[in-house]
Amino acid sequence: MSNKSDGNDYLFEIAVFLATSARNCIDEPPLYGPFRLLDALSKIADLPKYAPCLKDDPFLQEIKAFADEKKFLVMYGAEEFKKALDEIVEMFAKELKKRYLEKQKETG
Amino acid sequence: MFEAIKGRRSVRKYKTEPVDREIVKKLLDAARWAPSGGNIQPWLFIVIDDPKVLDVIRKISPGYFGEAPLAILVCSNKERAYKVGGALGRDYLTVADCAMAVQNMLLAAYALGLGTCVVKSFSHTAIKEVLAIPEGIEPELLVIVGHPNQTSRPPPRIPMNEIVHLNKYGEKFPGLEG
Ligand SMILES: Cc1cc2nc3c(=O)[nH]c(=O)nc-3n(C[C@H](O)[C@H](O)[C@H](O)COP(=O)(O)O)c2cc1C
Repeated sequence: MSNKSDGNDYLFEIAVFLATSARNCIDEPPLYGPFRLLDALSKIADLPKYAPCLKDDPFLQEIKAFADEKKFLVMYGAEEFKKALDEIVEMFAKELKKRYLEKQKETG
Repeated sequence: MFEAIKGRRSVRKYKTEPVDREIVKKLLDAARWAPSGGNIQPWLFIVIDDPKVLDVIRKISPGYFGEAPLAILVCSNKERAYKVGGALGRDYLTVADCAMAVQNMLLAAYALGLGTCVVKSFSHTAIKEVLAIPEGIEPELLVIVGHPNQTSRPPPRIPMNEIVHLNKYGEKFPGLEG
């Protein structure tokens, strides 16, 4: 059904998502802001599928799968949702170390 | 009936299989038999099953999850509501009435083996533009419908003893679960 024929279509879809979310977040429950950002993260992780100039990033795919599994926790209570967000940030922190600090140590 | 009330869930993953138009008619008929304040029946329904239009609606609706093959936009006719029901009719009853119609639709869809999700997180401005909705007609709720491809645990409900009062505010209704 979805007509994302190329990277530009997909980029446009993300842009519309961000614009409509920004407007709606003014009136929506406060937790929907983080919820939309998490959903945006999940969408951005798919960019390499539509833009061949980008390399596939297995880490971002892992994050996407985790985010998609956990994002609806927002309907089950703030605590569970917050815990899932903390876990995602922790995953990023470990990946940052691996990509930018441990590598440097090896080479430098 | 009680099975449907408790078993219905908001579905956010769907199979691609379309929903038959005869079934759509049944859902709409269930909707229009809902009660409404002063029997104003302020609702009108825009059925969207063209995949191209549906794709645009999905793009402008951050709360639309999954690729449901059908969406029904429930709108209120504010002009008609005002003529019959005054300011109360236009500003309050229309919202309640449309919600009643939506709940009928959700339960009817469940009885027919379909999944649904109410979506309020759509762009009001964009949906009016895309569907050419005139002034005086207000989009209230979008109901997405399809063959479910997911079962999910029910989001928790506030315990009965926190929301029920007996005869007077603050008086407990005995024997309710905690
Ligand atoms: C007025 C209203 C607006 C809603 N808007 C959305 C929405 O935009 N997106 C969504 O995924 N769910 C939406 N929902 C579904 C609720 O999140 C859901 O009903 C609630 O979490 C309870 O889950 P249940 O329907 O499975 O019992 C909405 C429900 C109602 C009644």
